[in-house]
Amino acid sequence: MENNIALKANHIVKHFYQPEPFEVLRDLSFEVKKGEFVSLIGKSGSGKSTLLYILSTMDTDYDGELYINNEKLTGQTRNQLAAFRNGHIGFVFQFHYLLPEFNVLDNIMLPALKLKKKSREEIEEKAYQNLKLLGLEEQALKLASKLSGGQQQRVAIARALINDPSIIMGDEPTGNLDSKNTQIVFDIFKELAREQGQTIITVTHDEDFAKNSDRVIEMSDGKIL
Amino acid sequence: MIIGTNYKIAYVHLTSKVKQTIVALLGVVFGISMYVFMNSFMSGVNDTQTTLAFTTLAHVHIYNDGPADRTNLVNSVYGPGVVANIRDPKVIQYTEGIKNSASIVSLVSKQPEVIGIAPQVNISVFFRNSGSKVNGNLSGVDVAEQEKLFGIAEYMIKGKWNDLLYQPNGVIIGSGLAHTLSLNIDDNVNVLTSDGFTHNYKVIGIFQTNIVNVDKITAYLNITAARQLLSKNQDYITDLQVNLNNFEKTPPLVSRLAPVIPYKVESWQTANQQLEAGSSLRDIIAMAVSLTILMVAGFGIYNIMNMTINEKIREIAILKAMGFSSGDVTTIFLAQAVVIGIVGGIIGLIFGFIFATIVNHIPFRIGGIDHLPMDYNVGDYVLAFIFGLITTLVAGYLPARKASKIDPVDILRG
Repeated sequence: MENNIALKANHIVKHFYQPEPFEVLRDLSFEVKKGEFVSLIGKSGSGKSTLLYILSTMDTDYDGELYINNEKLTGQTRNQLAAFRNGHIGFVFQFHYLLPEFNVLDNIMLPALKLKKKSREEIEEKAYQNLKLLGLEEQALKLASKLSGGQQQRVAIARALINDPSIIMGDEPTGNLDSKNTQIVFDIFKELAREQGQTIITVTHDEDFAKNSDRVIEMSDGKIL
Repeated sequence: MIIGTNYKIAYVHLTSKVKQTIVALLGVVFGISMYVFMNSFMSGVNDTQTTLAFTTLAHVHIYNDGPADRTNLVNSVYGPGVVANIRDPKVIQYTEGIKNSASIVSLVSKQPEVIGIAPQVNISVFFRNSGSKVNGNLSGVDVAEQEKLFGIAEYMIKGKWNDLLYQPNGVIIGSGLAHTLSLNIDDNVNVLTSDGFTHNYKVIGIFQTNIVNVDKITAYLNITAARQLLSKNQDYITDLQVNLNNFEKTPPLVSRLAPVIPYKVESWQTANQQLEAGSSLRDIIAMAVSLTILMVAGFGIYNIMNMTINEKIREIAILKAMGFSSGDVTTIFLAQAVVIGIVGGIIGLIFGFIFATIVNHIPFRIGGIDHLPMDYNVGDYVLAFIFGLITTLVAGYLPARKASKIDPVDILRG
């Protein structure tokens, strides 16, 4: 396999059994290059979110094979996959999903504290760097629940970046934001892909957002168009 | 460091929902304090019962059980095949009481667990004061040893126990007996033995053990005077009362002594099985009630933990998405249960102790007790703590396991 491939999906098939048997993803195969900024678009029910959760390794109930950084992830245990996500994948969700009872800094540091690759001081320094990158250094010690939606989403991005993941995945990361904050998030993603070579895969409904990314994968009825 | 991270999350969970934490804590506190109180109370009651019982009862009693059935001596010589016809057999009693008591006393006193031996000469007599007659028991005792075993001086309501030592003509009688015979201190009482000896004694003291059957029929006499009454030698005794350092540990002593002493060696348990049964039943009740309370507390914790987990289900999902393993999630929630268990346990022990002390001071004046009995036994406290911890661990583990099995995809997709 070539070295500049970040993610490779091989004949992914996924079924839903509730409320009735239904093939959501029909034999999907594609590759994503390192440093690529990919948007997954499609109508509701087209299977784009389902695909994202399979790519993110959280959903293991599928047929086919998934490789990230040339490592085969299909068939690994949930705890192995959790450890893999911890080191290699950063997440940004539509509803930011911070831990509301922790302050911003703690939220950002948690994945790194779990990874245990660096000392607490190094992690804290890195967290402050990330906050600065996202223009939030003033908010570091506030409770996550006290921030505005746009700020929370930026904190979530800072958290996704803490372990320098090779891939950042977003599930409608701008779905809940106004156009100004959407632009900020988009610019951050773009910069990360350009300058740090991080691969970005996001599901989005926002056509402008998708149009400006490097590559658009459009889905319909479980197939890539 | 990850251990620290998990504990930090657990700490934040506990401190951010203070009310819930307090409710869970109260459950454990209540359960453990009740466990401590119930057990302290029951063992206090058992101890009081035992103390009352042992005012007249020795741990081991050695006595002459009466002659065996020797009405057919022919068989013992010629074997059972020989037909013997014996009419109206009479038992000629060879021994009465315990002969050679000095050697038995020295044998028994060599046993390591024995802390006291009281020889007695018990005589079945009629107490008479002019018209009134009472069938009773005149007990010739070694004054010092009797006191050591039964602490009888404490039950004297008139006169002094030690006076018996110096007044060979004096008796100390039970309060019931004094009442029946209209006797008071310094009055004379006439005693008639079954062999027809009669003697006048002076009442020099009155005791009250609150055991009616004892108070009504018993009188104490110096053992020397009792031997004189029966015209027996200085070695003669009828009963040997033996106390051990632990009254529960009679069986080994009995099994050691019984084969080498030619008399009946009987433990208090065999003689008074109802006491033993009563104590055991009370222990079972205390255990059942307190374990039930602990179990209810456990369900409380279980409910609260379940609620917490339902509330935090999205956070659990996000932790898992970020790479926390199932084990980490279990640790986070189990740690909360353990903290609730330990903190609730310690507070519960303190509350249990305070509650026990308060109840201990409630007046209760029946049968020689003046307040409710209570025992302060470290073992009860340790057990309460251990049971409390086990309950919280089980009650916390089930929801924690449920949390660890949460599939983040289900939650995050909404």
